[in-house]
Amino acid sequence: MTGEQVAVFLASSLRLSMPMILAASGEMVSERAGVLNMSLEGMMLTATFAGALGSWATGRPGIGLLCGVAAALVVALVQAVLSVTLRANQLVVGIGFNILALGATTFLYREIFGPLSREVIPGFAKWEVPLVADVPILGPALFRHVGLVYVGFALVLALWAGLRYTAFGLAVDAVGEDPRAADRAGIPVALVRYVAVLIAGLMAGLAGVFISVGDINTFTEGMTNGQGYLALAAVIFGGWVGGRTVAACLLFGTATALQFQLPAMGIAIPTAGLMMLPYVLALLAVAGLVGHHDPPAALTLPYRRGA
Amino acid sequence: MSAGATVTKGAAPAWAPPRTVVIPVLATLAALGVGVLLITATGTSVPDAIAGFWDGMVGSSFAIGASINRAVALALVGLGFILANRANLTNVGGEGQIAVGGIAATALALHGAAGLPRPLAVGVPLAAGAAAGALWGAVAGGLKVRRRTNEVISTLLLTFVGLLMVYWSVQSENLLRQPMTSAATLPESLELPAATKLPTVLRDPGSPLHIGAFIALAAALAVGLVLARSALGVRLRAVGLNELASRRAGIRDGRLVVLALTVAGALGGLAGAIMLQGELWILTSGFTSGYGFDGLVVGLLSRGSVVAVIAGALFFGFLRSGGLAMEITAGVPAAVVVLIQGLLVVTIAGTAILTDQGRPP
Repeated sequence: MTGEQVAVFLASSLRLSMPMILAASGEMVSERAGVLNMSLEGMMLTATFAGALGSWATGRPGIGLLCGVAAALVVALVQAVLSVTLRANQLVVGIGFNILALGATTFLYREIFGPLSREVIPGFAKWEVPLVADVPILGPALFRHVGLVYVGFALVLALWAGLRYTAFGLAVDAVGEDPRAADRAGIPVALVRYVAVLIAGLMAGLAGVFISVGDINTFTEGMTNGQGYLALAAVIFGGWVGGRTVAACLLFGTATALQFQLPAMGIAIPTAGLMMLPYVLALLAVAGLVGHHDPPAALTLPYRRGA
Repeated sequence: MSAGATVTKGAAPAWAPPRTVVIPVLATLAALGVGVLLITATGTSVPDAIAGFWDGMVGSSFAIGASINRAVALALVGLGFILANRANLTNVGGEGQIAVGGIAATALALHGAAGLPRPLAVGVPLAAGAAAGALWGAVAGGLKVRRRTNEVISTLLLTFVGLLMVYWSVQSENLLRQPMTSAATLPESLELPAATKLPTVLRDPGSPLHIGAFIALAAALAVGLVLARSALGVRLRAVGLNELASRRAGIRDGRLVVLALTVAGALGGLAGAIMLQGELWILTSGFTSGYGFDGLVVGLLSRGSVVAVIAGALFFGFLRSGGLAMEITAGVPAAVVVLIQGLLVVTIAGTAILTDQGRPP
């Protein structure tokens, strides 16, 4: 591989990992608070579409970003009401949201854009980070991306710091491990869980907008194509720890990038095998065969005072 | 999980908890109402859309047969769901179980089974499909028992692996892809030999209705009897209600968990085989097209009742056919049907707390 190819490969690995990094980091916060959002895929898809629509209608990608994040937050809010207040089965409700999001975005897309639209969505311009963008290989690989990549990483770091060093972070772990004890200690369990789910929604929204407005500059039906599920798998694979979760996303993204890279290099490899790899790894992880970690003790368990 | 409506039971309690019926019905009506509103919003005339919908559902013997054939796959997945759900297990892997069932049935039909006498030529691929699905379910069951892996996560991940296996199978000539004669050869399998196709039921050559309908009814009867009348059904429920207590009572709960998920998987795999041998005849990437998730919805909405599974499967089968026809004749995207289904799951799962109040403990 030439240096240029290496740079392209690294850049596309990062690009393909980015939606999962964003979504998984938010989802990790929510899961540490005890709420599993199976609807991550649906939140992302909703944001992918709403972001594309906003950007296309106004010609301004920034508006698209706001639309996408707002739409994902609405889904997250309803998810929170159902999971926390109405104590519904989080997994089933989440799958329902994914079906709903697929139906709704496909329906609206066909109505608004038409079924065969190749409409280009105005996207963010790439930002060349001063000084480092011209470093050989690493410059083009890491420092010539849309701004959302850097904002995204900053947010991910902020989430880690927030979980680790703030009272809210402590509260998140407390309600995720033992909501009853947390309640007795005066922590508002429901409120913490609502905020945690909304954080997942915010990050899933950014992830979705990144796909349509930040990266591909178009919308296609079912565009997220399982990336939300992969992000969920990454949280498990990462053992509910920030750094490991991001590493899992990078691994999944690299496997995806390899599908395009290897054939380009003339290496014949069944691409289906590479596409399967993240799911198999995640399966091994949930089976505890690779780096087993215990999930938060109250994950998916609704809490009711006095019950 | 429903403890209420086991409809197959003879001595039913005097008109059991109505809320488990009323709320799903209300949710269904509300979801359909949203569908109608959306159709109106597209500017299509609602009578036109409904006419197209009706035509696609029951307008011809073809439409009726195709709708019932669709319902077969949904019913089988739904039956598997309620069986496993009786033990408080949530099998969301129907889509992947259909996928591996379809692969296995295609493999057997193309390689070996066609030369067998007619009943075997049909039966062997069906059995292979069921076996492949059973294996898929058993993996989830084994992980649940041995490694305490949540079956929702494992069945979902196995679904993606199964779907990609279909993709792989039809991409590679060493697997099931038809021989490449030109660069334009599509990535799909050869058509299944005629001997392995499911026989149709009616003399009417226009009707695609095949014997899958009877297989699904037989499966429904079996699941109904097991759940309502057998010791196995009681054990499943015991494990579902209180794992620890049932273990103390001498029930081998681990085996039951594996068994329940294996049977659920087998029914999903059988659904995949029936789809291939019944109507599709060619294995293509994405042939599962959401039937597994729709079957999950059917199982979920039925709240444990076999009769409700059949009704729900027919409802969704006809809904799917109607939606497709409406897209063609009235230009309303069939995605509106998907939207309605999603809305149904969210509303019904979201309001479970209301339904479960006042039900017997």
